This record gives sequence, structure tokens and C-alpha cells, in this order.
Amino acid sequence: MEAATQAAMQAALDPTTNAGAAPAPNKAPGAAAAESAGEPILEVRGVSKRFGGLLALGDVDYTVPRGRIMGLIGPNGAGKTTMFNCITGVYKPSVGDILFRRAPGAAPVRTNGFKPEKMTALGIARTFQNIRLFSDLTVLDNVRIGRHARTRQIFLGAVLRTRGQKREEERIVEDSMRWLDFVGLGKHALAPASGLAYGHQRRLEIARALATEPGLLLLDEPAAGMNPQETQMLDELIHRILDQGITVVLIEHDMKLVMHICDKLVVLDHGIKIADGTPEEIRRDPRVVEAYLGRGAADA
Amino acid sequence: MLEQQLVNGLTLGVIYALIAVGYTMVYGVIELINFAHGEIYMFGAFFCTTFIGAMGVPFYLAIILAMAAASLMGVLIEYVAYKPLRSSHRLAVLITAIGMSIFLQNLAMIIWGSRPRPFIQEAVPAYLSETAVRLGDVTLTWLHVFIFAVTFSMMIGLNLIINRTKIGTAMRALAQNRTAAQLMGINVNAVISFTFALGSSLGAMAGILVAVYYNSMYPTMGYVAGVKAFAAAVLGGIGSVPGAMLGGIVLGVAEALGAGYVSSLYRDGVAYAVMIAVIIFRPSGILGKAVVDKA
Amino acid sequence: MSKGKLYLLLGALVALAYPFTPLASDYVLHVAVLVMIYMVLAMGLNIVPGFCGLLDLGFVGFYGIGAYTAGLLTVHYGLSFWAIVPLAALNGALWGVLLGAPTLRLTGDYFAIVTFGFSELVVLFLTNEIWLTRGPLGLPGIDPISIDLSWLSSLLNPAWDWYYEFDGETPYYLLAIVLVLGVYWMMGRLEDSRLGRAWFALREDPLAAASCGVNILLYKVIAFGISAAIGATAGSFFARWTLFLSPDMFKFWESFLVLCMVVLGGLANIQGALVGAIILVALGEVLRTVLPALGLPAETRFLAYGLIMILIMRFKPKGFFPAIATSGLSNPVIVRLRKRLAEQYGAKG
Repeated sequence: MEAATQAAMQAALDPTTNAGAAPAPNKAPGAAAAESAGEPILEVRGVSKRFGGLLALGDVDYTVPRGRIMGLIGPNGAGKTTMFNCITGVYKPSVGDILFRRAPGAAPVRTNGFKPEKMTALGIARTFQNIRLFSDLTVLDNVRIGRHARTRQIFLGAVLRTRGQKREEERIVEDSMRWLDFVGLGKHALAPASGLAYGHQRRLEIARALATEPGLLLLDEPAAGMNPQETQMLDELIHRILDQGITVVLIEHDMKLVMHICDKLVVLDHGIKIADGTPEEIRRDPRVVEAYLGRGAADA
Repeated sequence: MLEQQLVNGLTLGVIYALIAVGYTMVYGVIELINFAHGEIYMFGAFFCTTFIGAMGVPFYLAIILAMAAASLMGVLIEYVAYKPLRSSHRLAVLITAIGMSIFLQNLAMIIWGSRPRPFIQEAVPAYLSETAVRLGDVTLTWLHVFIFAVTFSMMIGLNLIINRTKIGTAMRALAQNRTAAQLMGINVNAVISFTFALGSSLGAMAGILVAVYYNSMYPTMGYVAGVKAFAAAVLGGIGSVPGAMLGGIVLGVAEALGAGYVSSLYRDGVAYAVMIAVIIFRPSGILGKAVVDKA
Repeated sequence: MSKGKLYLLLGALVALAYPFTPLASDYVLHVAVLVMIYMVLAMGLNIVPGFCGLLDLGFVGFYGIGAYTAGLLTVHYGLSFWAIVPLAALNGALWGVLLGAPTLRLTGDYFAIVTFGFSELVVLFLTNEIWLTRGPLGLPGIDPISIDLSWLSSLLNPAWDWYYEFDGETPYYLLAIVLVLGVYWMMGRLEDSRLGRAWFALREDPLAAASCGVNILLYKVIAFGISAAIGATAGSFFARWTLFLSPDMFKFWESFLVLCMVVLGGLANIQGALVGAIILVALGEVLRTVLPALGLPAETRFLAYGLIMILIMRFKPKGFFPAIATSGLSNPVIVRLRKRLAEQYGAKG
């Protein structure tokens, strides 16, 4: 292991080495204690996912504390997006359970085998690693489609334009505009989504996910490709999402952002959970350093 | 009668199989149902008679030339119509493919007329219509033997190409993962062109065999044969070359038996019904992989 | 009222007045009815490849089902056209759902070929089940459409007899205009609705659509069912207009022609489908006379249709009037929003 790389990695894992890093003002007090304080919103119990002979996830356990920001980190190919796909119903776990508790105190729902649209209806929304917008549609329509799970009119209402349908359509536009304004895209509502700048497209995807009224929002590399200024705005946006009572899980490679923003981290490597805990604990964990830097680095 | 039906079914079946591998190979590398493949089959037969009739080329040489011409045509179709749409929505390519199929069919009608015409009998070696084997009530002519010999040797040859040669390996790599294949330094365009050339030559061969067997050819012959061969490819599992061979034979036999014992009126219906049933109940076919939408 | 709607209304008025002008001719009226039947078909088909992005090669199957449903119910039971239309539409929708539910979960290529196989099976059925359809001989003796209000008139005044049987092209022409407008109006409303947006979403990105809560399979089946019902409705009108049906009328060529209209007008473009129907029926009429004069069979006109499809997909895949972001722009909710945005940001959205 080259010393220079090692130093760079350690710097990445340790935001305090970066001068001027803010001491996480918005972080909820006693984040580490949160897990014991209330029931987690999501429990992942012994989840494995196999693709043919390949074990993408092996017996992963963790919980997502309600009302917090959790980070799912790990080197490339660690199984992070596979984990998201299992949680959102794109994949069905080969083994294990995923339990979701939308409201505090509610009975947990075992979500195995649920389809993605069912997961959305239950209250889990997501964004995608490589942005997946409906690019031929307007910005507003993208978010309006996000309202699908919370609205009902199908055929007859649409054809007859009943009063109920009209009222619903009006509400859809109102709600959609609220979320667009929330992410700062209200101005672009009627522009085609494909015309938005990259950073705006990421925000639009978040607005679309928020429009589904999730209790849990999964963000897959939200800061990828963003400049420091955009990342700063994202940081602020995620905290505002949290203020809406929405729990956030993010996959992210920007360690500075992760260490700064997350209350809890889960580290995957080759589909296995190698650590979880507060950013402080993770930074010191020799297994994590090893996973990122290769065998032998931890002993160095 | 059962035995004779079986022989007829098998003969048709191996010919379907020849067409079906063309569908399946193209589907394997670019995930497109090349609707124009049925027209390549038809053009093969017309090319062959044109070489014989207009240029006096001997029968066997004409077959080879027709196959070469059809290959060229297949490559050209891909280059002109499909390649520019590789990054478009799949719907665009599918529509182009169906448009191409209809275009070629009508082109043939303009060139050769719409009425069925016989194969040039004088050019066909006389021994082919003589009896080769007689087993009880079943008669096999040398033409049957020729068809079986040609199709089986082509299938074996195709298997060797796919499994033993560099370009065959490249085709399989492309079928697995195009991006990865590209990163490994495989010339994707060349492999796709080669696939079209190979599939088209086999399709043309099938067209010639059918034209000789039934002593008839017409511009819309590719329409039904194409769908049936596609059904065979689906039955065997799309993307799987051995599956296409198996599917062709099974379908040919099922059709002959269905026509003989159920109702000859629904002869063509057998293929459609088999295809729809397979697609509904076992979309991966006998030997293929799953095709359910990922979302 | 928007400009487009105004033009449409003017056009409809002119069209309605046409048969009563001295310019009216039976040939023109006949072709116009044909054009309008294709307009309805093109708008109905448009839902599947246009709104949902799925290739449907068997649309004519539903047209045939609708036509024969209407024809048989007329010949055997003497049912009124007004009762037959909903029955034919329901029968079409039923087959659409039966076919769509198991096959729409597959990739688009498979769906295309299944629809093709289905419509071929429909033709085989119509050809071979002679006890029901008379097969290749065709089904003659279908009554024209009639409006029977004699039950009402007899209540009011026994001397009146409010019974009218369609005679000549004019009444069919007028009814076809009503049908086109009705379907057009319905399509516009569907496009600008939660249902339409769900279709667009699953066309653009099925995974993202599912993540928005759209049940992909369900919405595809709904689309296919509505499309089939519209095809069958057009078929029932066709049956009571031509008064004779034969299986040949419902071969693959018809599906291809309608698909070509949709492609020419621009996928997902409702007005485009109307324009496509006009152009291709007109082109067909011209080629039908020109080609034989050149010594070519009339069927070779499909060469032109095939070429049109290839060229449009290559150079104008979104049609000549791309419908990007136009859906529902005239909806009052959006008009108000546009105004608000303009006030708030001083620019037009």
C-alpha cells in the first residue's frame, strides 16, 4: 500500500483533517442513543441476496433509527445498491426479513416479496444512482407522477372529468408545486425535465420521491458528480427533509459529507456488514480501514 | 400415415430450425426481433432462381451465391436501418424492423411479381426426386436426405463457429454484456455484422430448400415462415442456438401431427398457439433464460 | 378557448356542413368515412405504442372482434346498433385484458409477437369456424344502422313513426364525425390525467414509474384494454356501414397500416394520428390507381408504408410535431400555474 494513497484515504475518512469543516450543527443530540430510544423505522434481519452463484449480500443485519440520517457505505461492489433494491422491492431477498414500521408504535410490516409500487405505497421512496427521470415530460409532470401512490382517479373520472377528479388534479398540482418549491425548482415547473442542469435533475428526483409521502427516503449517491457548492446545498436539503419527519438513508462515496451528515453508518464490504455505529466509531474501526485500503493497512 | 406425417414434420422442422437460429442469434447480440429475417429467407430463394435463370449458374453454386448475397443483404439492413437506432428506445428499432420486413416483401413483389412461381426444375439435379429409402409406407427421396444432411451439417458447423472460434466467443460475450465486451476490446460492430451475415445465410438456405421442396416461391412466403420460425426460437428459448434447433424440430412435428390429426384448417394456428402458450407459461422456453421485464 | 380547439371546432363545423353542399359526392363521403374509421383506429392504437411504448402488431384483431360481434349480433338477434356498440367494446376490452394480463409482464418484443400471433389466430378462427361466421364466404345481410324511437312516438302520437334507417353515405358520415370527436375528446382527457401520466411514466422508465407507485402491469393492461375497446368500437361501426364482413378484411396489413398512421403522425400525438390517417388513406387511394397503371400489383403500396416507417424512425422518431411537454397545457390548472409562475419569476415557465 502506497503511503500517499493511505494518507488520502485516511483524510477522506476523517473530516476533521479538513480545515473549516463545520461541527454538524443540525445533528440531533444523542444520535448514538437514538436506537435504544425508539423503535427503528426499518429492520434488516439476516438478509442475503444471491444471483446465481454470486452472493451479493450475505446475512446483513442492521436497523435504521427513526428520524435520523443513516449512511450505507462501502467500497464499489459492496452490495449497497443491491441492499436498496431489496428494501424497495426491486429484488426479493433470498433469505432474511425486512421489517418496516411506518408510524412509531405501529405493528411492523414484513415486506418480503412486495413489489416496488407496494413499497412506495407503504412509505419507502428512493432515488437512483444514475438519475432516472421521465426525461420527455415536464418537471411538474415528474413530480405529479410521484403523487400517483397517494391519489386514486383512474379511467371514469378522467373521461368524465368529475368534480372529484378535478379536485384531485388540483391538489396534485398544489402538492407537486410544494415539493418543487421545497427543493427550489418551482420556477422550472413547466420546463422539460431533460433540459435541467445536472444538479437540478438530482433535486428533481428527490422532489419526485418526496411527493410519494415517504416515511423513509433512500438516496443512492445523491452527491455524485456535484461540485462542493451543490454538495453544500444538498447537505442543507437533507436536513430540511429530516425536519419534515422523514428518515433518510443514503449511499454515498463523499466521505466528508457522510461523516458530517450521518448519525449512524453501516459499512458493507463484499456483501457482508463489517461494521456499524456512529461516524466516530466507524472512523476508528480497523475493519473499515482495511476494507477501504486493503489488507495489511490496518496493521500499519 | 403417421410415419409419413412425421417425416414431413421433421423436414419442415429442420428448415424452421435453420430460420430460427437466425432470429435467436440476432436476439442474442442486439436483443431485437429482426422481423425482416423472414424476408431474407424469401430473398434467398429468389436470389437462387435468379442466379440460375438469368445467369445460368449451376444449382449448387447458385445456392452458395444466394447465401452470400443474402448475407450481404442482412449486413446491409443492419447497417442502414438498425445500427443508427442502437441508442434509441427499443420501440423505434422494433418499428423499423417491421417496416423493413414489409418494405422488402413489397420490393420482391415489384421485382418478381406477386404470384407464386415454381423453382426452376430443370436446374435441380434429377436424382433429388428419386427415392432414396423406403421404410414400410414411408418414402424418403434424395431431396429429404439432402435437406437433412445440409441442415445438420450447418447446425454442427454453426455450433463449432459459436463455441470454438474467436468470433463465436465474441458473439457470446456480446450476448452476455455488451459494455463489458466492448471494454474487453471486442469490435462490437464487426461482431454484430458477422451475426447478421451468418444468420442471413442460414435463412437463405432455408428459403432455397423450401422452394425446392414445395417447388413454389412467392414474395409473402417469409411472412408465415418467419413467424413460425420465431415461434420455434421462442419455444426453444430465445437467445439459445441449440434451443432454436430443438424448437424448430418440435414445432415442425407438432404442426404436421396437428394438421393430420386435429384439423388441417388450423395448421398455421398451431405455431401461433404454441408460441403464445410458451410465451405465457414458460417465457424462457425449453432451453433459454428468463425474459421478464426487469422492472 | 385555445387556438387548437377553435380550429378543431371550425373544422368539425365545415365537415358537418359538407354533405349538404353542392360539392358533396358519394365517393368523397365514402372515403371520408373510411378516413374517420382509421382515425378512430389510429387514436385507439396510439395508446399502446404511443403512450405506453409497446409495439402492438395485432390491433386489427380487436377491430375484427368488434366487427364480427356487431355483425353476428345484428344478423342473428337483430340487435340495435346502439346496444351493440357497448357490447362490442366490452368484448374487445375483454379479449384485450385476457391477452394482455399474462403477456404484458414480458419485454416489449415478446408482446409485439404475441399480439401478432393473436390477430392471426383471430383471422384463422373467423375463416374456419364456418358454422358461426360462414368463413371465407363472408357474413352478408347485416342491417344498416337505424334510429328507432317509434316506442316514444307511439306514446306521444300514434300517427308519428319515429324510425329512421341510415341510407347512403351521409348519415354514416355524420355519425363518424361524432365518433371521431368523441374518441378524440376522450383521448385528450385520458392523456391529461393521472392515468395518462402513469402510462407516460412506464413508457419512459418502468423502474422509476414503479418507484412512484405505478403498478406497471395493471396500467399496461388498462391501456391495452381501452385500446382494444376502441378498436372494437370502430369495428362495430364498420360492420354496420359496409354491411358485409369477411375474414380478409382483418389481416395483418390493416394492423400495419394503422401503426404506420400512428408513426407518421408522431407516437403519442393524438392530432398526429388524425393527420396520419388522412395522409395514408389518401395516399392509398392514389396508389391504388397509380400502381396498376404502372403494371404493379396494388398491394405494393405497402412498400411506401414500410419506407415511411423506416425513415420516420430514423430521422423523426418523435414525429413532425413533437408532443414534448404539451400534455394538458390548456388545462385550467396548468394555465393558472403558468400565470402564477410568470408573476413570481417574471419569466414564462
